[in-house]
Amino acid sequence: MGTRLLHIFRNTPLGRETLFQSAYFCKQTGFSLVIYIPRFKKFLMYFKNDAVQVDLDDSYLVAHKTAEVHAKEITESLGIEPVFIQEDAFTASTLPDIPSDFDFMCCPRSISDMSSKVSLGHIGSPVRRIVRSAKFPILITSPVFKPWKSIAVMFGGSRNSVKALKLGFRMARKTGMPLDIFTQIEKPSTRKEYKAIVTSKNFDKNLSTYLHHWYLFEKHQFEENLYDVPHDALVVLGAYGHGVIKDILFGSKMETIQSTLSNNLLVVGPKYSQVNR
Amino acid sequence: MKRFSMWRYPARWPLFRVDDRLLLIFTGAIVGILSGLAAVALNRSLSFMFDYLHRFRGHFLAFLLPAGGAALSSIFLNQIIREKPGHGVPEVIYSVSRYGGLLRFRSSFSRLISSCLTIGSGGSAGPEAPVVMSGSAIGSNIATLFSLNDKQRVTLVGCGAAGAISSIFNAPIAGMIFTMEIILGEWSTVNIVPIAIAAVVGTEVSHFFTGDQIAFSHRNFSIHPLDVISCVGLAVLTALASIILTRMLRRMHGVVAKVSLPFWLKAAVGGCAVGLLGLYFPDILGEGYHSITEMIGGIFEAGILAAALGAILKIVATSLTLGWGGSGGIFAPCLVIGSFVGLFFQRGLTVMFPYVDWVNEGCYALLGMAGLISGILQAPLTGIFLIVEITGSYEVMLPLIVVSAFSTTISRYFEPASFYLKDLVERGQLLRPGTDSRVLSDLSIAELLETDCICVKKDMLLRDFLNIVQKSRRNYFPVEDEKTGHFIGMVHLDDIRPYLFNRVMYDTVLIEQIMNGKMMTADISDELPAVLSTMDENGFFSMPVVSEKRFVGMISKATLLDQYRKELMVQTSDT
Amino acid sequence: MKLELKEVAKSLDLPQGTVERWIRQGRIPIQKRNDLCMFNKAVLKKWAKMHNLSCNLSETPDQTEPDDDQVPDDDNDNLLSSMKRGGLLVDVPGNDAEFVFRYVVGRIPELSTENKDALIERLLQREELVSTGIGKGVAVPHPRSPMPEAISESLVITCVLAHPIDFKSIDDQPVSVLFFLLSPSISCHLNLLSRLSFCLRDNAFVSTLKALRDKHVLFEKIELIEKQADGKG
Repeated sequence: MGTRLLHIFRNTPLGRETLFQSAYFCKQTGFSLVIYIPRFKKFLMYFKNDAVQVDLDDSYLVAHKTAEVHAKEITESLGIEPVFIQEDAFTASTLPDIPSDFDFMCCPRSISDMSSKVSLGHIGSPVRRIVRSAKFPILITSPVFKPWKSIAVMFGGSRNSVKALKLGFRMARKTGMPLDIFTQIEKPSTRKEYKAIVTSKNFDKNLSTYLHHWYLFEKHQFEENLYDVPHDALVVLGAYGHGVIKDILFGSKMETIQSTLSNNLLVVGPKYSQVNR
Repeated sequence: MKRFSMWRYPARWPLFRVDDRLLLIFTGAIVGILSGLAAVALNRSLSFMFDYLHRFRGHFLAFLLPAGGAALSSIFLNQIIREKPGHGVPEVIYSVSRYGGLLRFRSSFSRLISSCLTIGSGGSAGPEAPVVMSGSAIGSNIATLFSLNDKQRVTLVGCGAAGAISSIFNAPIAGMIFTMEIILGEWSTVNIVPIAIAAVVGTEVSHFFTGDQIAFSHRNFSIHPLDVISCVGLAVLTALASIILTRMLRRMHGVVAKVSLPFWLKAAVGGCAVGLLGLYFPDILGEGYHSITEMIGGIFEAGILAAALGAILKIVATSLTLGWGGSGGIFAPCLVIGSFVGLFFQRGLTVMFPYVDWVNEGCYALLGMAGLISGILQAPLTGIFLIVEITGSYEVMLPLIVVSAFSTTISRYFEPASFYLKDLVERGQLLRPGTDSRVLSDLSIAELLETDCICVKKDMLLRDFLNIVQKSRRNYFPVEDEKTGHFIGMVHLDDIRPYLFNRVMYDTVLIEQIMNGKMMTADISDELPAVLSTMDENGFFSMPVVSEKRFVGMISKATLLDQYRKELMVQTSDT
Repeated sequence: MKLELKEVAKSLDLPQGTVERWIRQGRIPIQKRNDLCMFNKAVLKKWAKMHNLSCNLSETPDQTEPDDDQVPDDDNDNLLSSMKRGGLLVDVPGNDAEFVFRYVVGRIPELSTENKDALIERLLQREELVSTGIGKGVAVPHPRSPMPEAISESLVITCVLAHPIDFKSIDDQPVSVLFFLLSPSISCHLNLLSRLSFCLRDNAFVSTLKALRDKHVLFEKIELIEKQADGKG
């Protein structure tokens, strides 16, 4: 089965931008685009160990008739042929189930709140739930369509960021774009230790093939250093690598990144399992 | 750090590594306590609301109370929790059969609150289904918290349901049987032990909080053989009542769907109507445990006509409440209707045969309850054991069995699927363990794929094709478009047979010309039953499977049988 | 015991998706931690036996590899190696088939006397049925059923007769070249026969056979033709 990206289409100007992002992503990677046009205000996704109900904003149901035509127009303008899926099962009569066996999913920063609230630093709770329980990475788009030309991986040495790095290599392989790695050195650990992590995972070959530059920040705050991330890069990062308590105490890198960068983010959740393809 | 997270994986604790049954018993007990607590909480708050609102009952505007309650509860469900109104039991069954019992966390309290609003304000509905939903959701979320697998999660969902029912009726066996008969649909030794424990724990919890002031107290009856015979007549009546109730509910849904009002206004309209009925006949309001107790106790004073009217009005009130968007179940209304029917029947008997010494009306009320449960839920065992446990005597066993059996049989003739399962059966989603449809729905096409076919290009010469034929083990050769890689057709060995011995054709015929371009294909994401029925209709033994227009493999009945057997064996055997 | 999902699926002879689903549904006594399957080997074996599933668990997964590759056995056994084992006999004397058979069979070193007699008998039986003379002066004598007890490896013995003999060939021409096909199994036999007949389609090759004296010339030719055939197929 080919690699598929699920996109929940919203028939509004904001939704158009989001779909452009998805289509661009698919065009660059050669993955196929699966579009779901919701007919109800909510749907369920059954993941391996969690059932996530996604409540949609009213704007998702706007102008249902023109939705498919619009979606086709947008994707065809980028030369992508989308597949439309229908809900095939219902948990309750107005609560459809959407399959969850995709390889990627695209979410705007929020899908349940009014789109006027969408801004930096705000990720809706259903999106968080999806990130936490999905076994696929989530593409969180920036509000306006912006083609990206390179890949930036946030690598901090944790298990999840190793996954993110792997995914970054995969993206680089698929798209042929240069890859940058960004590491903030928090503890007095040296570059060598990060190198050691990378070497122990047999990334050497990938590194030499795809790595463009490895940014290591020792000074300044992480937020300040994020300015160095190219504006036209797809940012790949791991999320929620550590426990809930640690998140509350120290904050999560993902929160910092998503509230600072307006780039497109490709977020690897803790349940993401590497598929070797 | 690792030490701390160990508590989330009890399956790795040394104690439970010995036998995972211990783990289930342990977690089952926890779930039993929690769902028992949920049931007690709902029961307590219902009686609190009942007492609090009782003083307004005499007021002429009291009919607005159920309207307000129903409106609030529907707003709560739709806007705050964003769940669908309804009693929720089908959702539990659906999730058990399809997704290993995964339920949302919000389900574990949403129905409690909304049904409390509906019933407490006077709407005619039952608290059992909401409690079952909550208990099941608690069980499911505990399983998720402890990272248990699907089978264990399903057991815990059952534990939740059993604990809830046992706690609310003070009837552990009825809770167990209800779970097995309705929620899980299977009787296996692995499940029974934890579920029984949860049921007992749930009962104990309700004992602890409510003392011995349980909903229904024990009684003894002396049954005459004539009573047993008369039960056949009662069974006909209860079956009739259950058919009317089922049809009425469905009709009401149809009517409501046509009315274009905001959902909360709809609920308010239904509540208003119920409130108006309640002004003249207060016994139909609420979940009705109070009037049941009166009827069983034989202190219900109204006459034969009042009993008949009571049954009919309760049916109407229940369908008004539930049909117009109130929240709650149907179990308690069934009991109320059943006791009205039983009462009516007993009074009728004493009028018609005044010299026979019929057993008292309380017993008939109980029998009527069993008849209605058997008729509507089509769960005769649940009905029988619930009544046996309520009465605490085995003398009623014989008439109970007669009523339940006849009532189930008659109503099944008119309504083939029970109230809880109707939706699922209509959607073809009732997948009981070990059945054909369950096995088929568990198997996915991706698992059955035979990938040893060799793809050929459409502008290949027959000669080159024959070389490929030599190497292949299969009779089918998918043809791909060279540029796009899309599947365009299929060559079967039979198709080239005519040209096989004609060497002139070898270099003149292209694959494109021989292939069958109109092959029906299945998509890899299709459901297996749908694909199978296509195969059956067309008499295929195998079909090509495509994914995004590319060929990915063949699906054939031979492989299917192989996998089907393995799956069936694994599903039905109990370890 | 820890194994990767792929290996578990392979040893149980099940699709990977099925095993993954069974683990999730709790139908199989395996626990999954990250990407590894954890299980007790004895328990899993017992479980597999109870459910009539095959279970070839081994500590080192590599050992199972050769088992799976039984099939291509007859494929790597190409004509050339069998011919090299059989060798070339030139100027074989004799006026009838039986004499030639006795002469040739007598020169197979691996065979015991009893087996030699049995083989000759079988060869003659086969000739009685239908002649193995396939035309163009070539015959391919072989026993009707393989003789695994006598022959462990396939042999193709090439004989060039001193003078052509009558063999009741399909084209009634006298035969001067014989290929003795002796194989341990039917599939091997068919494979050799099909490869040989492919070589014999080449008329130029057949005509050189009659004057054949040096076995290296023969082997080179065969190797060339076989390579062509394999490359194409």
